[in-house]
Amino acid sequence: MAADDPELHEGLVTPIGTRRTFFQWVIAAAAGLIGVGLAGPLASYVVSPALKRREQPWVEVGTVGDLKVGEPTQLDYVQTVRDGWMENRLHKAVWATKQADGQVTVFSPMCPHLGCGYHWDGGEHKFKCPCHGSVYAPDGKVLGGPAPRHLDVLPSKIENGQLFVIYKEFKAGLSTAVEL
Amino acid sequence: MASRIYEWFDSRLKLKSVERTLLDEPIPGGASWVYVFGSATLFLFVLQAVTGMFLAIYYAPTPDHAYDSVRFIETQVTFGWFVRGLHHWGASGMVVAIGLHMLQVFVYGAYKPPRELMWMVGVVLFLIVMGFAFTGYLLPWDQTAYWATQVGINMTGTVPLIGDFLVRVLRAGETLGALTLSRFFAVHVLFLPALIVIGIMVHMFILRRVGPAGPWTGGVERRQRAVQSQAPPAQAVPQSGERRVRISETFYPRQVYMDAVVMLGVFLVIAAMAIFVPLPLTDKADPSDTSFVPVPEWYFLFYYELLKYVHGPLEPVATWILPLLVVLGMLFWPFIDRRKSRSPASRPIGMALGALFLLVVFTLLGISVKNLYAVKRTDPAVAHGKAIVGRFGCTGCHRIHGEGGAVGPDLSFVGDSRPEREWHLRHFRDPQSVSPGSIMPKFPLTEPELNDLTSYMLSLRRGT
Repeated sequence: MAADDPELHEGLVTPIGTRRTFFQWVIAAAAGLIGVGLAGPLASYVVSPALKRREQPWVEVGTVGDLKVGEPTQLDYVQTVRDGWMENRLHKAVWATKQADGQVTVFSPMCPHLGCGYHWDGGEHKFKCPCHGSVYAPDGKVLGGPAPRHLDVLPSKIENGQLFVIYKEFKAGLSTAVEL
Repeated sequence: MASRIYEWFDSRLKLKSVERTLLDEPIPGGASWVYVFGSATLFLFVLQAVTGMFLAIYYAPTPDHAYDSVRFIETQVTFGWFVRGLHHWGASGMVVAIGLHMLQVFVYGAYKPPRELMWMVGVVLFLIVMGFAFTGYLLPWDQTAYWATQVGINMTGTVPLIGDFLVRVLRAGETLGALTLSRFFAVHVLFLPALIVIGIMVHMFILRRVGPAGPWTGGVERRQRAVQSQAPPAQAVPQSGERRVRISETFYPRQVYMDAVVMLGVFLVIAAMAIFVPLPLTDKADPSDTSFVPVPEWYFLFYYELLKYVHGPLEPVATWILPLLVVLGMLFWPFIDRRKSRSPASRPIGMALGALFLLVVFTLLGISVKNLYAVKRTDPAVAHGKAIVGRFGCTGCHRIHGEGGAVGPDLSFVGDSRPEREWHLRHFRDPQSVSPGSIMPKFPLTEPELNDLTSYMLSLRRGT
């Protein structure tokens, strides 16, 4: 208490004027600094995993010699996937078709319509989706049904006769392939 | 704009009277830097609550995942290390703040009537905070957490008759494991927070009912004289006896300003420690590794030291009789020290006992810290290397002291047969470069991991 503390009642005093304003400013500044010091880090703490994109690795999925030309083959493989603090081994499958020139086209196993798993009809020589009846040619082109785009092609490469792919997923229902 | 919104709410909720009650609380004898410790403690509690909630976003309370999730927070989440650092150092800060708060209340005799209940609730709050410290320590599930908690739980086993039962309840069974971790987690994040919030509310309610104590009488008179010498005649305080002692200052703005400055200071110190003091996780808890020497947090160290001096039949005295007496003594202190006067000078026995207590605690703490630096312990690099062997499953192929497969060479004494550090480093980077034809795979090891693993290999020698 100092000279400019006026008495309210019964001996209760409180600072007034510029002295009071100074205290109010310091209180606001302290609260603001603590708030900002916490809000930034805490916000990025919550948001960060949503913004991080995982680099998908090349995964070996099979031997090119085992594929028949023009006959799509489903290749099953196991991939180790980081899920937060866990490492999961996931079973995945892709469709691979060997061309006459030895190159291989690899399709994502999900129908671009709504994400169902399609299968190969060897008799009709077409890919067919059991969910809503989309039909695709062996090269992935849409032949019929509600599918808005051709089958999604995955990046692939051949090294020492082994086929490697980068697994990706795409948004369903769009006319162009947009990676998830 | 802000004032119009305030008016709108005030016309409905009558906020102004609440505001007056909260902010115009009389501080007897005026605001003081001595009264900031309660607010500092409350601030640290809020900081712990907020950072704790955020840690819970990524933490997984199972032995399989607890350690990995904390590592994930520490290394993968943006500012995860900062949030965890704030929570860790905030816990220490809370112990310091409570200690200073209790010391101030003790020296000022502020526990005397009519404030006995406020003191007793405060002691209960202190015990709840100790409960937070004990249960929170286990959660990272690293070696330190596991073995320190093991020791802590075993101490309750010395309580007569019900000791064994208590130990089993704390562990939820015979061993410290999944059930222990999940109940420590639940107690730490659900039960204790509920209890402490109730306790804080009661503590504050009593404070508002009885009011702060202010200085002991002598202090009031001294301050009074200071005020009178400064005050202009128009605002001079009447000097009649009763009135003179009752002069007070409003809580807002000067005491709030002091509290706010201290809170900012506390926040900056805790944040600086989170940023600059490394807070390493030890290796993942390994129940089979009995060589690990656990060290408790610094605020339990005095007690850890005390236990070294008490053996045999006297052990229960240290493990539970003495702590129980100290807690009961603290709890009922207002009824033990019944002298009316609050002045420290008029209660020499109480002050001497308090000083003796602090002297013993800090002496034990000092000895303990000194001993910790003197004890020769396992090279941390070796311990870490050993954990890497566990993590990568090396014993799937290699045998070490009778454990492990027989696909690769037995490594029990590899430090004797391969004493060159460089050979191991090259071998781990690419096994075939020094051992052509080796079927050992290359493991994805970082440089520090390579070094620690090599240190462990070199430590595997006869006669060690």
